[in-house]
Amino acid sequence: MSRTEVFAEQTDVLIAGSGAAGMRAAIAAHDAGAKVVLLAKGPRRANHTRMSGGRYNAVSGLNPDDSTDAFFQDTLESGVGINNYPLARILADEAMDRAYDLESYGLAWDRTGIRKYYMSMTGGGTFVRTLGSVDEGIGITEVMLHQLHQRGIWICDFHMLADVVQDDNGRVVGGLALDLAKGVWRYFSAGAVVIATGGASQLYETSSGPAINTGDGIAIALRAGAELVDIEFMQFIPISFVYPPSARGYTLTEPAHYGMRHFDPKAEAAHLVNNQGERFVLKHDPVRREGSTRDVLARAIMLEILEGRGTPEGGVLMLPDPQVFDAFLKERPIYVKRLLENYGEGQARLQEPIQVMPSALYTLGGVRIDPWCRCSVQGLIVGGEAAGGVHGANRLGGSSMSDIQVFGRRAGIAAAEDAREYAGAGASQLEKARARAAVLEACFGRSDGVRPPEVKQRIQKLMWDHVGIVRSGPKLTETLAAFRNVREHVLPTVKVTNKSRVLNREWMEALELENLLDIGEAMAASSLQRQETRGAHYRTDFPATDPEWTANLIVRREAGQLRVDKKAIVTLDPAPAAREKIGAAA
Amino acid sequence: MPTDIKLRAEIRRFDPTVDAQPRYETYEVAGQDNWRVLDVIRSIYQHQAGDLAYQFACRAGRCGTCGVKVNGVPVLACQERCKPEMRIEPLTPFPVLRDLVVDRSEVEARYEQHALTPQRATAYAGGPEAIEPRLAEELCHMGSCLACMVCVSGCPAVAERAFDGPAFMLKLRHMAKHPADTGARLAQAVDAGMLECFGCDLCTQLCPADLSPAQAIREFRREMIFGKDARHE
Repeated sequence: MSRTEVFAEQTDVLIAGSGAAGMRAAIAAHDAGAKVVLLAKGPRRANHTRMSGGRYNAVSGLNPDDSTDAFFQDTLESGVGINNYPLARILADEAMDRAYDLESYGLAWDRTGIRKYYMSMTGGGTFVRTLGSVDEGIGITEVMLHQLHQRGIWICDFHMLADVVQDDNGRVVGGLALDLAKGVWRYFSAGAVVIATGGASQLYETSSGPAINTGDGIAIALRAGAELVDIEFMQFIPISFVYPPSARGYTLTEPAHYGMRHFDPKAEAAHLVNNQGERFVLKHDPVRREGSTRDVLARAIMLEILEGRGTPEGGVLMLPDPQVFDAFLKERPIYVKRLLENYGEGQARLQEPIQVMPSALYTLGGVRIDPWCRCSVQGLIVGGEAAGGVHGANRLGGSSMSDIQVFGRRAGIAAAEDAREYAGAGASQLEKARARAAVLEACFGRSDGVRPPEVKQRIQKLMWDHVGIVRSGPKLTETLAAFRNVREHVLPTVKVTNKSRVLNREWMEALELENLLDIGEAMAASSLQRQETRGAHYRTDFPATDPEWTANLIVRREAGQLRVDKKAIVTLDPAPAAREKIGAAA
Repeated sequence: MPTDIKLRAEIRRFDPTVDAQPRYETYEVAGQDNWRVLDVIRSIYQHQAGDLAYQFACRAGRCGTCGVKVNGVPVLACQERCKPEMRIEPLTPFPVLRDLVVDRSEVEARYEQHALTPQRATAYAGGPEAIEPRLAEELCHMGSCLACMVCVSGCPAVAERAFDGPAFMLKLRHMAKHPADTGARLAQAVDAGMLECFGCDLCTQLCPADLSPAQAIREFRREMIFGKDARHE
């Protein structure tokens, strides 16, 4: 067999991910003097940020009752106390400056006056604080992309990061990427690699994110020796589309559900009823009712569906408030159109019941990082949804948009600094990259076996049924055994029927399988360990929140085996100045 | 309630690295009448043609990467309702990478060349920047262009003349309307072939995001005749 061909490239900072975290890191690293290459797994606009409603939590000073302390407190309360406090504090302190950055890039935040932003409330917040723009995540990604264009940053479309390459001391010195459009391997030697590949919502049968969010970067970091934190927490959005098939799981947005509560904390949210016409949420949260947090609502809806009180299509009914239609149309015309196309005019006008179901939205856990997005592996920086700790056990609606700006920028600055200080020669590791590429070609030659989409569906079903909204010890144990079986007996038989190397979707999916399985196992293992219910993690066998578990679970791999350790939460550093020091890697 | 239907999809297959000529392959699919074109394509990949190259990511009309031609009309596959008989082809006039996926390198180079960031006379002074609420709303509407190239693919002027296409005119107009921008956007639009536009309004009818590149072009033309101040009429 001939040697696997790998083309060698060189850069200071290699960034994987074309969403806002990756793009913000690219801008920051470039502005700090680094040469930057950004890898986009699909076309550059295929990313999760673009799908977001773009609601952005920040303390603008326009609501005199609000403060960064209140935002910090809301974040901790929503996270049920296990957030990484310094990260949550940084989010509260820096979100507004990053919102101004976006405005400087050309984003026009919605306004009620020439210098007055329009603000609303989103899930879990206690104050009117959330900014937004009619162009939503599309507008945010578009203004950022043009900033990258202006800087001449090299964007590689259709480049999937397959793995990072480490030197003999374990320092990351480059990344191996598959150029899907050409079907060739490229090794980028780099002084620092930034993982901004987003979450792993594709682990689930029904999910809200883009099809490429298979948690590649999180799995790559885990394999490289990094620690994961809070990986048992997956956020499910309670309100998403039920049909048609392509739209199933896509977020239906909060204004339709929140009704007048979108503007007034005391108002009622839209009622949710099962097929008996009962308002089942009252059993779960008689105080906040349908205005409860995302985790409570998602669980309440899922239990109704599992217990047979859902619609034939697998949802429940939301009774929207037609009063809110004019504001909804003005603020979120894109969603009105989706409702019209997917459901009909009565639903789009908020006059008829809307079928909704929960869907996997956001990977709350991820790679464990310090305030400058460094992890336990030198030369590896992680920002955005791929990182964990900021949001704890549950996330405020509107906080991911600020998270990816705040920590995207920090990741870029740290990466530029690490690249500057790196004196080694990543190019000398080309052979390691080549060896890894050869392994990832194996599925090509197989004639017997199973196609990647079938294995993916199997993993997605296991995750949805047992490591999703409703979990239990026996089912988690069963799932871990099933995953072991997939790893040992199924993965080695995965075959690619497509003979072309160009845009070979089966091959891409084969590479994704290992990533999905790595994260799925980590999620199941830590979910099993956490014997309580907290935030997005619900155990039927441990339905109460246990103060003993106000702690983090840290997952890492040692000699191929997963290790899950309980650790005390990270609270605020008593000397705040230390938070601002970039410093060398820990 | 959706009803079961039989669909027939004819897909243009072409790998420029090996094939001399494109060919059309026909697939029979059992689907439902509320399926999108993307649902049909995904079903064909899942069950019949594991070697089909196609592109999608968000499946919700937001990433703008799943554009194809269905029976000759450019659409987003994730938004277009399926039809019992469909001929599905890649977007023209772009080079094909394989099957239904086009190479957007030149598209991105054009976006880059048009410098679509506000060209500020003085540095951003911190926010909130002075923007009238109604103008902010208008900027945002233009900011929701998906860059999906559906309008460019459908534009008869692009097919015949030296014209970058409607999507680029919309983005240039977006910048021209931004209060902080000092760029010569009208001149850029003219350089990019704006005057070749027939004014047929097809771009507006095709736009999956309900935007009107034609209106952007009309505004630029008014500006050419009456000057910049006419733009807020």
